[in-house]
Amino acid sequence: MNSFFKYFHSLFSGILTLLIGMKTSMKVFLRKKVTEKYPENRDTLKISDRFRGTLVMPHDTENHHKCVACGICQISCPNGSIVVHFDTVVSEDGKKSKVLTNYEYDLGNCMYCQLCVNTCPHDAICFDNSFEHAVFSREKLIKKLNREGSTLVKK
Amino acid sequence: MFDFSIVSSWIHNLLTGVMPEFWAIFLECLAIGIGILLFYAVLAIILIYMERKVCGFFQCRIGPDRVGKFGIFQLFADVIKMLIKEIISLKNSDKFLYALAPFIVIIASILAFSTIQINKGMEIIDFNVGIVFYMAATSLGVLGILLAGWSSNSKFTMISAMRSGAQIISYELSVGLSLLTVVVFTGTLQFSEIIQSQADGWLIFKGHIPVWIAFIIYLIAGNAETNRGPFDLPEAESELTAGYHTEYSGMHFGFFYLSEYLNLFIVAAIAATVFLGGWMPLHISGLDGFNAIMDYIPGFIWFFGKAFFVVFLLMWIRWTFPRLRIDQLLKLEWKILVPIGLFNLALMILVVVFKLHF
Amino acid sequence: MDIKNRILEIVPEAEFSENGSLVAIVPSSNLYTLAKRLKNDEDTSFDYLLSLTGMDFGDSLGVIYHLESTKYGHMIVLQTSTNDKDKPELYSVSDIWKGANINEREAYDFFGIRFINHPDMRRIFLRDDWVGFPLRKDYNDELNPLRMTNEVTEDMTQELTLDKDGTFTNKENIIFDDQEYVINIGPQHPATHGVLRFRTSLQGETIKKIEPYCGYIHRGIEKMCESLTYPQTLALTDRLDYLSCHQSRHALCMCIEKAIGVEIPERVQYIRTIMDELQRIDSHLLFYSCLCMDLGALTAFFYGFRDREKILDIFENTTGGRLIQNYNVIGGVQADLHPNFVKDVKEFSSYMRKILKEYHDIFTGNIIAQQRLKDVGVLSREDAISFGATGGTGRASGWACDTRKRKPYGVYDKVSFKEIVYNEGDSFARYMVRMDEIVESLNIIDQLIDNIPEGEYQVKMKPIIRIPEGKYFASVESSRGEFGVFIDSRGDKSPYRMKFRATGLPLVAAVDTITSGGKIADLIAIGGTLDYIIPEIDR
Repeated sequence: MNSFFKYFHSLFSGILTLLIGMKTSMKVFLRKKVTEKYPENRDTLKISDRFRGTLVMPHDTENHHKCVACGICQISCPNGSIVVHFDTVVSEDGKKSKVLTNYEYDLGNCMYCQLCVNTCPHDAICFDNSFEHAVFSREKLIKKLNREGSTLVKK
Repeated sequence: MFDFSIVSSWIHNLLTGVMPEFWAIFLECLAIGIGILLFYAVLAIILIYMERKVCGFFQCRIGPDRVGKFGIFQLFADVIKMLIKEIISLKNSDKFLYALAPFIVIIASILAFSTIQINKGMEIIDFNVGIVFYMAATSLGVLGILLAGWSSNSKFTMISAMRSGAQIISYELSVGLSLLTVVVFTGTLQFSEIIQSQADGWLIFKGHIPVWIAFIIYLIAGNAETNRGPFDLPEAESELTAGYHTEYSGMHFGFFYLSEYLNLFIVAAIAATVFLGGWMPLHISGLDGFNAIMDYIPGFIWFFGKAFFVVFLLMWIRWTFPRLRIDQLLKLEWKILVPIGLFNLALMILVVVFKLHF
Repeated sequence: MDIKNRILEIVPEAEFSENGSLVAIVPSSNLYTLAKRLKNDEDTSFDYLLSLTGMDFGDSLGVIYHLESTKYGHMIVLQTSTNDKDKPELYSVSDIWKGANINEREAYDFFGIRFINHPDMRRIFLRDDWVGFPLRKDYNDELNPLRMTNEVTEDMTQELTLDKDGTFTNKENIIFDDQEYVINIGPQHPATHGVLRFRTSLQGETIKKIEPYCGYIHRGIEKMCESLTYPQTLALTDRLDYLSCHQSRHALCMCIEKAIGVEIPERVQYIRTIMDELQRIDSHLLFYSCLCMDLGALTAFFYGFRDREKILDIFENTTGGRLIQNYNVIGGVQADLHPNFVKDVKEFSSYMRKILKEYHDIFTGNIIAQQRLKDVGVLSREDAISFGATGGTGRASGWACDTRKRKPYGVYDKVSFKEIVYNEGDSFARYMVRMDEIVESLNIIDQLIDNIPEGEYQVKMKPIIRIPEGKYFASVESSRGEFGVFIDSRGDKSPYRMKFRATGLPLVAAVDTITSGGKIADLIAIGGTLDYIIPEIDR
């Protein structure tokens, strides 16, 4: 008799747990959905300003950047995503200085560790929020960060 | 109540007027054949769309949303995709059986599908052993699954096929027992007569406790027979990737996919027919005015309403529960459903003998 | 009891060095005896092999063992080496600690050290046709171009046995014989949560034997670290266990900070602790989701992901990352907390407590789920310790192995929380440990969130960080066990050897023991509840 009772007890308690589950899923069925419609909601999409999208070199209105081409970012990059190309210019009073010609940044290689931004002594580079990186070839991921004709900001 | 047999007999008379009876019947069969295939495909599309939407809603998402408004053309896109996909032939597989398997599955499904009665007089196969025919047709599908699993020459599909065989053959028993319970009550094996006997109230109301038990057993066993969650062991994607149709591609896979959804509909439709009165409107004896109003709603709306209600119920179950293990699955059948089903059959006989029903 | 004297008692030739941590240097011929004594003697009982690290000392090859006693909590580091670089042979301890088996295979793979009496001396991460041993300092990378041919899976394995009369013989052991029905679960399989491969021998639906194959996502992070500066190595820890990246990075930062002796501000400690706990909840939610999906409850899968999103949003606001956080740095954290952080975390905490009931309603209580998990895949306490299966797996087997309690770090000594321990050792216990830990983590966060002290979020560090010579070890409780970092420094700006104690490797090693006799479906449930992360196993 005991086992008979146990059989039905386990049967009904089992059915009860199933019904609790069904109740829960029905509750969620009627709830507001959480799907985000991505390409349509671009305007309302909230991204943290700390989000690391792409490395950029901010330029001011007169097309000046702050990079002195010291190359610290290149040294601190763990996987060689940054190559700083520069010319050595001798000024009138005989001082040698580096002038940035091409700040090459390989987006496809970058692992967003932020060491370049952390170590930059002049805050010349930073990460911005743009995250739509998809392109059709790898070459397009190699970017030149300094704009055409830009020069070092005057102190 | 609109009787569809008026239309069919009118067409028959029209055709026999212009040609000999043989050709008339031939043409009718052809039309019905094409009609059934079209209807089958359209229903599958509706069901797959419904499944994806319902599943999405259960999972706090909105389901297909990109192709057309609310994603209604998503399925057409999928069908086109499936049609233009390459059908891959496998090394060391049994080519003939491998190609045959999806057809067996879909033929079995269409055969079972043709027993469904949509409206009064709108039936394709309706004869005195309809339920037996239905059971025979549905159990044919397992042959296709076994062949698919075996001929693919893959270990995963083989395990899946064996699981499927054990599962479907076991659960056939429970389906049979629960339908038999109804047969005891109505005293007929013919679908149209079963529906007719529900004119003064659906069986689920008339037959009370034994019919409720039979209904629940039928839903569980029917769900298991169609390999749907929580009984989707043969295609348990986290265990056997895609089960018996792992190696299929293109439209061959499409056939399995179609038949899966149609089997779902067939199970729901039979449940609606046998337990919920099929196309029979809701009649409450004594309330003639109410009954008359209910009669104004066409039978096929009643039928589809009920069938889709059961489909939704099955989807609700599928998207809530985890999957069973093979030994638990068989335990559920042989230790719980079959004994209860047998007991229920005896109970039904008592109910009928002592006229304890409404 | 003085462990030093104890070791000298057993092995009089032992030497000791105390750079960083106490290391006993033992001749290779005595190591096996010493290890056996240390484990079996009642007053030492070093039953937990925390880490086994292969080493290239320059002129010799060797192994470093980190031992711990679960009974007394004391630790010792043993070091042994062999000067024969062409045919390095050391004695295996795999019959003393079960977890040593897979770790010794790793040492063989990377350093070519053959372990005498090890039953299965095969490579584990690299291909069998790999030339040379990559973590040796004289390794020539050019010998291994990208191979385009298939790797043949051998059914045989080598064993180097030492006979009684002192002769070495090469023995061949069979892994699977021809008659067995062997299926590949993985590397591409929905339930292995990554690219792990189990070769599974079946008898019908029942599993006879499982042989795990790792290395499909092996990136050689330990080798890479040897050529990176310390700040650069930090970026790689996030890519080990992507669901406990805060914790792994915390471990590495802690190890480096301990080595150079920086005092970490209180605020940083609080922030790190809160982040670690948020990460733990994040990981356990994903665990819940994936387990549900493995068991076929796809709806519950989405519940977990829905709520995990909220944590990711909190992370994104403060750290700027969702999966790869990049937050801890040497001497502090990358950025101060976001102004909304406290508010968001509080909101999340109260939301999570409420919604957890739904989790239990839809899955935990469900009769099918219970039947799938209960009494499935039992791991005994002894086995858990012997394998070194820490984290939720160990605690489900009744082993109170929480690093937060054993060796408190951060501000874990200031908060009160319960260490969740179950004694059943089955899949359901493993599941419940994690579900209960979500609540405990919320409790920890609630205690801390209002009391974050003001102050610096970062200590100014020198531009080039050098660690004084020595061997350092630090460990944290990551989301799935004790994650340890071992650094051997020679005073340079990059480590001489860096080893990460993978939390998942012992779990994978234990799969065969746990699963044998179960069904295929049980393997899936066990894999789900063991909760390993492949990138961390393969490193």
